[in-house]
Amino acid sequence: MTWLTEWAGYLPQMMSGLSVSLLIAGVSIVAGYPLGLILSVMVSAKNLAVRTLALAVVEIGRGAPALVILYLFYYGLPKFGIAFESITAACLALIWNSAAYSSEIMRAGIQSVGRGQLEASNALGLAQRHTFFRVVLPQGLRSAIPGLMGVAIQMFQGTSLAYAIAVPELMKSAYNIGSQDFNYLQIFTLAGLCYAAISMPATWITVFFEKRLARHA
Amino acid sequence: MTLSEIADGKLAPRLGIKLDNISKRYGDNTVLDDVSLHVEPGTVTALIGPSGAGKSTFLRCINLLERPDSGTIQVDQHTIEPGKDVNSRDLAALRRTVGMVFQSFNLFPHMSALKNISFPQQKVLGRSKDEADERSMQLLERVGLKEKAHQHPGRCSGGQQQRIAIARALALDPSIMLFDEPTSALDPEVGLEVLAVMRELAADGMTMIVVTHEMQFARDVSDTLVVMADCRIIEQGDPRAIMSDPQEARTRRFLRAVLER
Ligand SMILES: Nc1ncnc2c1ncn2[C@@H]1O[C@H](COP(=O)(O)OP(=O)(O)OP(=O)(O)O)[C@@H](O)[C@H]1O
Ligand SMILES: [Mg+2]
Repeated sequence: MTWLTEWAGYLPQMMSGLSVSLLIAGVSIVAGYPLGLILSVMVSAKNLAVRTLALAVVEIGRGAPALVILYLFYYGLPKFGIAFESITAACLALIWNSAAYSSEIMRAGIQSVGRGQLEASNALGLAQRHTFFRVVLPQGLRSAIPGLMGVAIQMFQGTSLAYAIAVPELMKSAYNIGSQDFNYLQIFTLAGLCYAAISMPATWITVFFEKRLARHA
Repeated sequence: MTLSEIADGKLAPRLGIKLDNISKRYGDNTVLDDVSLHVEPGTVTALIGPSGAGKSTFLRCINLLERPDSGTIQVDQHTIEPGKDVNSRDLAALRRTVGMVFQSFNLFPHMSALKNISFPQQKVLGRSKDEADERSMQLLERVGLKEKAHQHPGRCSGGQQQRIAIARALALDPSIMLFDEPTSALDPEVGLEVLAVMRELAADGMTMIVVTHEMQFARDVSDTLVVMADCRIIEQGDPRAIMSDPQEARTRRFLRAVLER
Protein backbone atom coordinates (compact mmCIF):
# COMPACT_ATOMS: atom_id res chain seq x y z
CA MET A 1 0.00 0.00 0.00
CA THR A 2 2.76 2.44 0.96
CA TRP A 3 4.51 1.68 -2.35
CA LEU A 4 1.44 2.70 -4.25
CA THR A 5 1.03 6.03 -2.43
CA GLU A 6 4.73 6.79 -2.78
CA TRP A 7 4.59 5.88 -6.47
CA ALA A 8 1.72 8.27 -6.92
CA GLY A 9 3.92 11.00 -5.47
CA TYR A 10 6.80 10.18 -7.83
CA LEU A 11 4.58 9.97 -10.86
CA PRO A 12 4.68 13.60 -12.07
CA GLN A 13 8.48 13.58 -12.21
CA MET A 14 8.46 10.15 -13.84
CA MET A 15 5.97 11.31 -16.44
CA SER A 16 8.19 14.17 -17.50
CA GLY A 17 11.02 11.65 -17.92
CA LEU A 18 8.76 9.31 -19.84
CA SER A 19 7.70 12.09 -22.19
CA VAL A 20 11.37 12.82 -22.98
CA SER A 21 11.94 9.10 -23.65
CA LEU A 22 8.94 8.99 -25.95
CA LEU A 23 10.13 12.12 -27.74
CA ILE A 24 13.56 10.61 -28.41
CA ALA A 25 12.01 7.33 -29.55
CA GLY A 26 9.55 9.20 -31.79
CA VAL A 27 12.27 11.29 -33.41
CA SER A 28 14.49 8.27 -33.99
CA ILE A 29 11.62 6.45 -35.70
CA VAL A 30 10.19 9.33 -37.72
CA ALA A 31 13.61 10.34 -39.01
CA GLY A 32 15.22 6.90 -38.94
CA TYR A 33 12.73 4.94 -41.03
CA PRO A 34 12.80 7.18 -44.10
CA LEU A 35 16.60 7.12 -43.89
CA GLY A 36 16.39 3.36 -43.54
CA LEU A 37 14.29 3.15 -46.68
CA ILE A 38 16.83 5.24 -48.60
CA LEU A 39 19.65 3.05 -47.27
CA SER A 40 17.78 -0.13 -48.21
CA VAL A 41 17.60 1.10 -51.80
CA MET A 42 21.21 2.33 -51.82
CA VAL A 43 22.45 -1.02 -50.56
CA SER A 44 21.22 -2.66 -53.78
CA ALA A 45 22.40 0.18 -56.04
CA LYS A 46 24.45 -0.58 -59.14
CA ASN A 47 27.06 2.04 -58.26
CA LEU A 48 29.77 0.44 -56.14
CA ALA A 49 30.60 3.62 -54.21
CA VAL A 50 26.96 4.19 -53.27
CA ARG A 51 26.56 0.57 -52.28
CA THR A 52 29.71 0.56 -50.16
CA LEU A 53 28.78 3.77 -48.38
CA ALA A 54 25.28 2.51 -47.58
CA LEU A 55 26.61 -0.84 -46.43
CA ALA A 56 29.10 0.87 -44.12
CA VAL A 57 26.40 3.06 -42.57
CA VAL A 58 24.13 0.06 -42.04
CA GLU A 59 26.78 -2.27 -40.68
CA ILE A 60 28.15 0.29 -38.23
CA GLY A 61 24.63 1.17 -37.12
CA ARG A 62 23.83 -2.46 -36.44
CA GLY A 63 27.25 -3.68 -35.43
CA ALA A 64 28.33 -1.05 -32.94
CA PRO A 65 26.50 -0.89 -29.60
CA ALA A 66 24.21 2.13 -29.50
CA LEU A 67 26.08 3.39 -26.45
CA VAL A 68 29.33 3.57 -28.40
CA ILE A 69 27.68 5.63 -31.13
CA LEU A 70 26.07 7.80 -28.50
CA TYR A 71 29.42 8.52 -26.86
CA LEU A 72 31.03 9.19 -30.23
CA PHE A 73 28.41 11.80 -30.99
CA TYR A 74 28.46 13.39 -27.55
CA TYR A 75 32.11 13.14 -26.50
CA GLY A 76 33.84 12.38 -29.80
CA LEU A 77 32.57 14.95 -32.25
CA PRO A 78 33.43 18.04 -30.16
CA LYS A 79 37.05 17.15 -31.05
CA PHE A 80 36.12 18.30 -34.56
CA GLY A 81 34.36 21.37 -33.27
CA ILE A 82 30.93 19.79 -33.55
CA ALA A 83 29.12 19.86 -30.25
CA PHE A 84 25.56 18.72 -29.60
CA GLU A 85 23.28 19.10 -26.68
CA SER A 86 22.88 15.80 -24.93
CA ILE A 87 19.34 15.24 -26.16
CA THR A 88 20.35 16.00 -29.76
CA ALA A 89 23.26 13.58 -29.53
CA ALA A 90 20.90 10.93 -28.16
CA CYS A 91 18.45 11.48 -31.02
CA LEU A 92 21.18 11.33 -33.67
CA ALA A 93 22.64 8.13 -32.27
CA LEU A 94 19.27 6.42 -32.12
CA ILE A 95 18.33 7.71 -35.60
CA TRP A 96 21.43 5.98 -36.91
CA ASN A 97 20.48 2.86 -35.01
CA SER A 98 16.90 2.78 -36.21
CA ALA A 99 17.86 3.65 -39.80
CA ALA A 100 20.32 0.77 -39.86
CA TYR A 101 17.96 -1.81 -38.39
CA SER A 102 14.90 -0.68 -40.33
CA SER A 103 16.84 -0.64 -43.61
CA GLU A 104 17.61 -4.33 -43.26
CA ILE A 105 13.99 -5.12 -42.50
CA MET A 106 12.72 -3.07 -45.42
CA ARG A 107 15.32 -4.58 -47.75
CA ALA A 108 14.14 -8.06 -46.79
CA GLY A 109 10.53 -6.96 -47.29
CA ILE A 110 11.25 -5.54 -50.73
CA GLN A 111 13.15 -8.67 -51.73
CA SER A 112 10.29 -10.86 -50.62
CA VAL A 113 8.06 -9.38 -53.34
CA GLY A 114 7.72 -12.07 -55.98
CA ARG A 115 9.51 -11.91 -59.32
CA GLY A 116 6.14 -12.28 -61.01
CA GLN A 117 5.10 -8.85 -59.76
CA LEU A 118 8.09 -7.24 -61.43
CA GLU A 119 7.52 -9.19 -64.61
CA ALA A 120 3.86 -8.24 -64.80
CA SER A 121 4.73 -4.62 -64.21
CA ASN A 122 7.45 -4.68 -66.87
CA ALA A 123 5.22 -6.50 -69.34
CA LEU A 124 2.60 -3.80 -68.90
CA GLY A 125 5.24 -1.26 -69.80
CA LEU A 126 5.13 0.55 -66.46
CA ALA A 127 8.13 2.83 -65.87
CA GLN A 128 10.78 1.76 -63.36
CA ARG A 129 9.67 4.34 -60.82
CA HIS A 130 6.03 3.27 -61.02
CA THR A 131 7.07 -0.35 -60.73
CA PHE A 132 9.10 0.42 -57.63
CA PHE A 133 6.92 2.94 -55.82
CA ARG A 134 3.48 1.60 -56.73
CA VAL A 135 3.99 -2.14 -57.11
CA VAL A 136 7.04 -3.34 -55.19
CA LEU A 137 7.34 -0.89 -52.31
CA PRO A 138 3.76 -1.09 -50.96
CA GLN A 139 3.95 -4.87 -50.87
CA GLY A 140 7.46 -4.92 -49.45
CA LEU A 141 6.66 -2.45 -46.69
CA ARG A 142 3.49 -4.28 -45.81
CA SER A 143 5.39 -7.42 -45.02
CA ALA A 144 7.95 -5.32 -43.13
CA ILE A 145 5.38 -3.83 -40.73
CA PRO A 146 5.80 -6.32 -37.85
CA GLY A 147 9.59 -6.06 -38.04
CA LEU A 148 9.45 -2.27 -38.11
CA MET A 149 7.20 -2.23 -35.07
CA GLY A 150 9.70 -4.45 -33.33
CA VAL A 151 12.45 -1.95 -34.07
CA ALA A 152 10.24 0.84 -32.74
CA ILE A 153 9.91 -0.97 -29.41
CA GLN A 154 13.64 -1.62 -29.39
CA MET A 155 14.23 2.11 -29.99
CA PHE A 156 11.95 3.07 -27.13
CA GLN A 157 13.84 0.80 -24.77
CA GLY A 158 17.09 2.07 -26.25
CA THR A 159 16.29 5.59 -25.10
CA SER A 160 17.37 4.49 -21.61
CA LEU A 161 20.95 4.68 -22.88
CA ALA A 162 20.58 8.44 -23.09
CA TYR A 163 20.80 8.33 -19.29
CA ALA A 164 24.54 7.85 -19.79
CA ILE A 165 24.90 11.38 -21.13
CA ALA A 166 22.51 12.94 -18.59
CA VAL A 167 19.47 13.37 -20.81
CA PRO A 168 16.50 13.88 -18.46
CA GLU A 169 14.66 10.84 -19.72
CA LEU A 170 12.84 8.17 -17.75
CA MET A 171 15.89 6.44 -16.25
CA LYS A 172 17.42 9.75 -15.26
CA SER A 173 14.21 10.82 -13.52
CA ALA A 174 14.12 7.52 -11.68
CA TYR A 175 17.72 7.86 -10.61
CA ASN A 176 17.18 11.41 -9.38
CA ILE A 177 14.20 10.38 -7.30
CA GLY A 178 16.02 7.33 -6.00
CA SER A 179 19.06 9.29 -4.89
CA GLN A 180 16.89 11.58 -2.75
CA ASP A 181 15.71 8.93 -0.28
CA PHE A 182 17.50 5.79 -1.54
CA ASN A 183 14.28 3.96 -2.46
CA TYR A 184 16.03 2.44 -5.46
CA LEU A 185 14.06 -0.81 -5.42
CA GLN A 186 10.72 0.99 -5.52
CA ILE A 187 11.66 3.59 -8.03
CA PHE A 188 13.36 1.30 -10.53
CA THR A 189 10.43 -1.10 -10.28
CA LEU A 190 8.22 1.83 -11.22
CA ALA A 191 10.55 2.74 -14.09
CA GLY A 192 10.40 -0.85 -15.34
CA LEU A 193 6.62 -0.74 -15.16
CA CYS A 194 6.60 2.49 -17.18
CA TYR A 195 8.72 0.91 -19.93
CA ALA A 196 6.53 -2.19 -19.89
CA ALA A 197 3.33 -0.13 -20.00
CA ILE A 198 4.39 1.15 -23.40
CA SER A 199 6.30 -1.84 -24.78
CA MET A 200 3.87 -4.60 -23.95
CA PRO A 201 0.80 -3.21 -25.69
CA ALA A 202 3.05 -2.33 -28.63
CA THR A 203 4.20 -5.94 -28.74
CA TRP A 204 0.60 -7.16 -28.70
CA ILE A 205 -0.21 -4.87 -31.60
CA THR A 206 2.81 -6.25 -33.47
CA VAL A 207 1.64 -9.81 -32.92
CA PHE A 208 -1.81 -8.82 -34.13
CA PHE A 209 -0.33 -7.42 -37.34
CA GLU A 210 1.84 -10.49 -37.81
CA LYS A 211 -1.20 -12.73 -37.57
CA ARG A 212 -3.20 -10.56 -39.92
CA LEU A 213 -0.43 -10.50 -42.49
CA ALA A 214 0.04 -14.24 -42.22
CA ARG A 215 -3.66 -14.72 -42.85
CA HIS A 216 -3.60 -12.57 -45.98
CA ALA A 217 -0.35 -13.95 -47.34
CA MET B 1 -19.59 -5.32 -78.81
CA THR B 2 -16.53 -7.51 -78.99
CA LEU B 3 -13.65 -7.63 -76.55
CA SER B 4 -11.14 -5.75 -78.64
CA GLU B 5 -13.64 -3.22 -79.92
CA ILE B 6 -14.32 -1.88 -76.48
CA ALA B 7 -11.44 0.58 -76.89
CA ASP B 8 -12.62 4.16 -77.15
CA GLY B 9 -14.47 3.43 -80.36
CA LYS B 10 -11.32 2.59 -82.25
CA LEU B 11 -9.70 -0.74 -82.78
CA ALA B 12 -6.06 -1.31 -82.03
CA PRO B 13 -4.39 -2.06 -85.36
CA ARG B 14 -3.96 -5.72 -86.07
CA LEU B 15 -0.30 -6.42 -86.23
CA GLY B 16 1.76 -9.48 -86.91
CA ILE B 17 5.13 -10.22 -85.50
CA LYS B 18 8.36 -11.44 -87.04
CA LEU B 19 10.96 -13.12 -84.91
CA ASP B 20 14.17 -14.05 -86.65
CA ASN B 21 17.15 -16.08 -85.49
CA ILE B 22 16.44 -15.68 -81.79
CA SER B 23 19.10 -17.30 -79.61
CA LYS B 24 19.34 -17.36 -75.86
CA ARG B 25 21.91 -18.91 -73.55
CA TYR B 26 22.15 -19.05 -69.78
CA GLY B 27 25.87 -19.41 -69.25
CA ASP B 28 26.88 -22.46 -71.25
CA ASN B 29 23.32 -23.70 -71.42
CA THR B 30 21.65 -22.95 -74.74
CA VAL B 31 17.90 -22.50 -74.28
CA LEU B 32 16.94 -21.10 -77.68
CA ASP B 33 18.95 -22.06 -80.71
CA ASP B 34 18.31 -19.80 -83.70
CA VAL B 35 14.51 -19.82 -83.51
CA SER B 36 12.45 -17.95 -86.13
CA LEU B 37 8.71 -17.48 -86.18
CA HIS B 38 6.44 -15.28 -88.27
CA VAL B 39 2.92 -14.63 -87.05
CA GLU B 40 0.34 -13.15 -89.39
CA PRO B 41 -1.93 -10.38 -88.10
CA GLY B 42 -5.16 -11.65 -86.62
CA THR B 43 -4.05 -15.25 -86.25
CA VAL B 44 -3.69 -17.51 -83.26
CA THR B 45 -0.50 -19.48 -82.83
CA ALA B 46 -0.43 -22.31 -80.31
CA LEU B 47 2.99 -23.21 -78.97
CA ILE B 48 3.35 -26.71 -77.56
CA GLY B 49 6.21 -28.96 -76.57
CA PRO B 50 7.76 -30.87 -73.71
CA SER B 51 8.80 -29.22 -70.46
CA GLY B 52 12.12 -27.43 -70.74
CA ALA B 53 11.80 -27.03 -74.51
CA GLY B 54 12.18 -23.27 -74.17
CA LYS B 55 8.56 -22.24 -74.80
CA SER B 56 8.31 -19.77 -71.94
CA THR B 57 11.74 -18.37 -72.66
CA PHE B 58 10.82 -17.84 -76.30
CA LEU B 59 7.55 -16.13 -75.39
CA ARG B 60 9.30 -13.91 -72.89
CA CYS B 61 11.87 -12.93 -75.48
CA ILE B 62 9.10 -11.44 -77.59
CA ASN B 63 8.42 -8.60 -75.12
CA LEU B 64 11.98 -8.63 -73.83
CA LEU B 65 11.19 -9.89 -70.36
CA GLU B 66 14.09 -12.12 -71.32
CA ARG B 67 16.80 -10.51 -73.39
CA PRO B 68 17.85 -12.75 -76.30
CA ASP B 69 21.57 -12.86 -77.09
CA SER B 70 20.93 -12.37 -80.78
CA GLY B 71 18.21 -12.14 -83.39
CA THR B 72 15.66 -9.54 -84.40
CA ILE B 73 12.12 -8.80 -83.29
CA GLN B 74 9.90 -6.93 -85.69
CA VAL B 75 6.54 -5.56 -84.64
CA ASP B 76 4.80 -2.93 -86.71
CA GLN B 77 7.42 -0.39 -87.83
CA HIS B 78 9.74 -1.24 -84.98
CA THR B 79 12.70 -3.51 -85.43
CA ILE B 80 14.49 -4.42 -82.26
CA GLU B 81 17.86 -6.11 -82.12
CA PRO B 82 18.09 -7.26 -78.53
CA GLY B 83 21.75 -8.28 -78.92
CA LYS B 84 22.53 -4.57 -79.16
CA ASP B 85 21.40 -1.75 -76.91
CA VAL B 86 17.65 -1.29 -76.95
CA ASN B 87 16.58 2.27 -76.34
CA SER B 88 13.82 2.85 -73.86
CA ARG B 89 11.45 4.33 -76.46
CA ASP B 90 11.53 1.17 -78.55
CA LEU B 91 11.12 -0.95 -75.44
CA ALA B 92 8.13 1.08 -74.30
CA ALA B 93 6.56 0.89 -77.77
CA LEU B 94 7.09 -2.87 -77.88
CA ARG B 95 5.55 -3.41 -74.46
CA ARG B 96 2.59 -1.20 -75.28
CA THR B 97 1.91 -3.22 -78.42
CA VAL B 98 2.31 -6.62 -76.80
CA GLY B 99 0.17 -7.74 -73.85
CA MET B 100 1.07 -10.73 -71.71
CA VAL B 101 -0.83 -13.13 -69.49
CA PHE B 102 1.06 -15.35 -67.05
CA GLN B 103 0.45 -18.80 -65.65
CA SER B 104 0.40 -17.37 -62.13
CA PHE B 105 -1.78 -14.33 -63.01
CA ASN B 106 0.54 -11.88 -61.25
CA LEU B 107 -2.19 -9.44 -60.34
CA PHE B 108 -1.13 -6.73 -57.90
CA PRO B 109 -2.46 -8.06 -54.59
CA HIS B 110 -2.62 -4.66 -52.90
CA MET B 111 -4.96 -3.19 -55.51
CA SER B 112 -8.61 -3.91 -56.22
CA ALA B 113 -9.50 -5.61 -59.49
CA LEU B 114 -10.55 -2.24 -60.88
CA LYS B 115 -7.32 -0.57 -59.78
CA ASN B 116 -5.28 -3.42 -61.26
CA ILE B 117 -6.80 -2.62 -64.64
CA SER B 118 -6.98 1.18 -64.36
CA PHE B 119 -3.59 1.93 -62.83
CA PRO B 120 -1.50 0.80 -65.85
CA GLN B 121 -3.81 2.69 -68.22
CA GLN B 122 -3.25 5.89 -66.27
CA LYS B 123 0.52 5.50 -66.09
CA VAL B 124 1.26 3.96 -69.48
CA LEU B 125 -1.37 5.59 -71.69
CA GLY B 126 -1.93 8.73 -69.65
CA ARG B 127 -5.68 8.19 -69.40
CA SER B 128 -7.53 10.09 -66.72
CA LYS B 129 -8.82 8.09 -63.77
CA ASP B 130 -12.40 8.36 -65.03
CA GLU B 131 -11.53 7.27 -68.55
CA ALA B 132 -9.47 4.40 -67.23
CA ASP B 133 -12.15 3.26 -64.78
CA GLU B 134 -14.80 3.37 -67.47
CA ARG B 135 -12.70 1.23 -69.76
CA SER B 136 -11.88 -1.14 -66.90
CA MET B 137 -15.55 -1.58 -66.05
CA GLN B 138 -16.39 -2.37 -69.66
CA LEU B 139 -13.68 -5.01 -69.76
CA LEU B 140 -14.66 -6.45 -66.39
CA GLU B 141 -18.21 -6.74 -67.61
CA ARG B 142 -17.01 -8.39 -70.77
CA VAL B 143 -15.07 -11.06 -68.85
CA GLY B 144 -18.09 -11.49 -66.60
CA LEU B 145 -16.63 -10.01 -63.44
CA LYS B 146 -18.22 -6.62 -63.02
CA GLU B 147 -19.27 -7.48 -59.49
CA LYS B 148 -15.65 -8.16 -58.54
CA ALA B 149 -14.47 -4.64 -59.43
CA HIS B 150 -13.87 -3.57 -55.85
CA GLN B 151 -12.56 -6.88 -54.53
CA HIS B 152 -8.88 -7.52 -54.08
CA PRO B 153 -7.39 -10.42 -56.06
CA GLY B 154 -7.03 -12.46 -52.86
CA ARG B 155 -10.81 -12.62 -52.72
CA CYS B 156 -11.13 -13.98 -56.25
CA SER B 157 -10.81 -17.55 -57.48
CA GLY B 158 -7.94 -18.48 -59.77
CA GLY B 159 -10.15 -18.40 -62.84
CA GLN B 160 -11.50 -15.00 -61.89
CA GLN B 161 -8.00 -13.69 -61.26
CA GLN B 162 -6.84 -14.87 -64.65
CA ARG B 163 -9.78 -13.17 -66.36
CA ILE B 164 -8.97 -9.96 -64.51
CA ALA B 165 -5.36 -10.34 -65.66
CA ILE B 166 -6.55 -10.69 -69.25
CA ALA B 167 -8.68 -7.56 -68.85
CA ARG B 168 -5.67 -5.73 -67.41
CA ALA B 169 -3.59 -6.56 -70.46
CA LEU B 170 -6.40 -5.74 -72.92
CA ALA B 171 -7.00 -2.36 -71.28
CA LEU B 172 -3.78 -1.08 -72.84
CA ASP B 173 -5.13 -1.83 -76.33
CA PRO B 174 -2.39 -4.25 -77.34
CA SER B 175 -2.21 -5.49 -80.92
CA ILE B 176 -0.71 -8.81 -79.89
CA MET B 177 -1.40 -10.96 -76.85
CA LEU B 178 0.99 -13.53 -75.39
CA PHE B 179 -0.30 -16.25 -73.08
CA ASP B 180 2.04 -18.51 -71.10
CA GLU B 181 0.05 -21.54 -69.98
CA PRO B 182 -2.85 -19.37 -68.81
CA THR B 183 -4.86 -22.31 -67.51
CA SER B 184 -2.15 -24.57 -66.10
CA ALA B 185 -2.61 -23.32 -62.54
CA LEU B 186 -6.38 -23.82 -62.69
CA ASP B 187 -8.79 -26.67 -62.16
CA PRO B 188 -9.97 -27.94 -65.55
CA GLU B 189 -13.48 -26.60 -65.00
CA VAL B 190 -12.28 -23.16 -64.01
CA GLY B 191 -9.84 -23.21 -66.91
CA LEU B 192 -12.81 -23.37 -69.25
CA GLU B 193 -13.96 -19.89 -68.16
CA VAL B 194 -10.59 -18.54 -69.14
CA LEU B 195 -10.45 -20.46 -72.40
CA ALA B 196 -13.89 -19.10 -73.29
CA VAL B 197 -12.61 -15.55 -72.94
CA MET B 198 -9.58 -16.43 -75.09
CA ARG B 199 -11.77 -17.99 -77.75
CA GLU B 200 -13.77 -14.78 -77.99
CA LEU B 201 -10.63 -12.77 -78.24
CA ALA B 202 -9.42 -14.99 -81.06
CA ALA B 203 -12.78 -14.68 -82.81
CA ASP B 204 -12.43 -10.89 -82.57
CA GLY B 205 -9.23 -11.16 -84.56
CA MET B 206 -6.63 -10.56 -81.89
CA THR B 207 -3.16 -11.74 -82.84
CA MET B 208 -2.29 -14.31 -80.19
CA ILE B 209 0.58 -16.60 -79.28
CA VAL B 210 -0.47 -19.16 -76.70
CA VAL B 211 1.82 -21.59 -74.90
CA THR B 212 -0.53 -24.33 -73.82
CA HIS B 213 -1.05 -27.95 -72.92
CA GLU B 214 -4.76 -27.70 -73.86
CA MET B 215 -4.71 -29.76 -77.03
CA GLN B 216 -8.37 -29.21 -77.74
CA PHE B 217 -7.94 -25.46 -77.58
CA ALA B 218 -4.88 -25.70 -79.82
CA ARG B 219 -6.78 -27.79 -82.34
CA ASP B 220 -10.01 -25.79 -82.38
CA VAL B 221 -8.81 -22.25 -81.96
CA SER B 222 -5.32 -21.91 -83.35
CA ASP B 223 -4.50 -21.22 -86.97
CA THR B 224 -0.93 -22.41 -86.60
CA LEU B 225 0.49 -25.04 -84.32
CA VAL B 226 4.16 -24.71 -83.42
CA VAL B 227 5.98 -27.56 -81.76
CA MET B 228 9.12 -26.79 -79.80
CA ALA B 229 11.60 -29.31 -78.46
CA ASP B 230 15.23 -29.08 -77.43
CA CYS B 231 15.66 -25.34 -77.86
CA ARG B 232 14.18 -25.12 -81.35
CA ILE B 233 10.99 -25.27 -83.39
CA ILE B 234 10.80 -28.76 -84.84
CA GLU B 235 7.51 -28.57 -86.65
CA GLN B 236 4.84 -26.01 -87.50
CA GLY B 237 1.73 -25.81 -89.61
CA ASP B 238 -1.97 -26.59 -89.58
CA PRO B 239 -2.89 -27.87 -86.11
CA ARG B 240 -5.18 -30.68 -87.32
CA ALA B 241 -2.66 -31.88 -89.84
CA ILE B 242 0.12 -32.00 -87.29
CA MET B 243 -2.02 -33.65 -84.65
CA SER B 244 -3.30 -36.35 -86.96
CA ASP B 245 -0.09 -36.86 -88.89
CA PRO B 246 3.02 -35.45 -87.25
CA GLN B 247 6.09 -35.46 -89.47
CA GLU B 248 8.65 -35.62 -86.70
CA ALA B 249 9.18 -38.60 -84.42
CA ARG B 250 9.75 -36.19 -81.52
CA THR B 251 6.37 -34.55 -82.14
CA ARG B 252 4.67 -37.93 -82.30
CA ARG B 253 6.19 -38.96 -79.02
CA PHE B 254 5.16 -35.72 -77.35
CA LEU B 255 1.60 -35.80 -78.71
CA ARG B 256 1.14 -39.39 -77.62
CA ALA B 257 2.32 -38.48 -74.13
CA VAL B 258 -0.10 -35.56 -73.83
CA LEU B 259 -3.11 -37.13 -75.46
CA GLU B 260 -2.85 -40.33 -73.45
CA ARG B 261 -2.89 -38.48 -70.15
N1 LIG C 1 16.67 -17.81 -65.53
C1 LIG C 1 17.16 -19.00 -65.97
N2 LIG C 1 18.42 -19.36 -65.69
C2 LIG C 1 18.93 -20.53 -66.14
N3 LIG C 1 18.24 -21.40 -66.87
C3 LIG C 1 16.97 -21.11 -67.17
C4 LIG C 1 16.36 -19.89 -66.75
N4 LIG C 1 15.09 -19.87 -67.23
C5 LIG C 1 14.92 -21.01 -67.90
N5 LIG C 1 16.04 -21.76 -67.88
C6 LIG C 1 16.22 -23.05 -68.53
O1 LIG C 1 15.83 -22.93 -69.86
C7 LIG C 1 15.19 -24.10 -70.32
C8 LIG C 1 13.87 -23.75 -70.96
O2 LIG C 1 12.99 -23.26 -69.97
P1 LIG C 1 11.53 -22.78 -70.31
O3 LIG C 1 10.94 -22.32 -69.04
O4 LIG C 1 11.57 -21.83 -71.43
O5 LIG C 1 10.85 -24.13 -70.77
P2 LIG C 1 9.33 -24.42 -71.09
O6 LIG C 1 9.31 -25.01 -72.44
O7 LIG C 1 8.51 -23.22 -70.85
O8 LIG C 1 8.98 -25.54 -70.03
P3 LIG C 1 7.64 -25.76 -69.18
O9 LIG C 1 6.67 -26.49 -70.06
O10 LIG C 1 8.09 -26.61 -68.04
O11 LIG C 1 7.14 -24.43 -68.74
C9 LIG C 1 15.06 -25.03 -69.12
O12 LIG C 1 16.06 -26.02 -69.22
C10 LIG C 1 15.32 -24.13 -67.95
O13 LIG C 1 15.95 -24.83 -66.93
MG1 LIG D 1 7.00 -22.64 -69.43
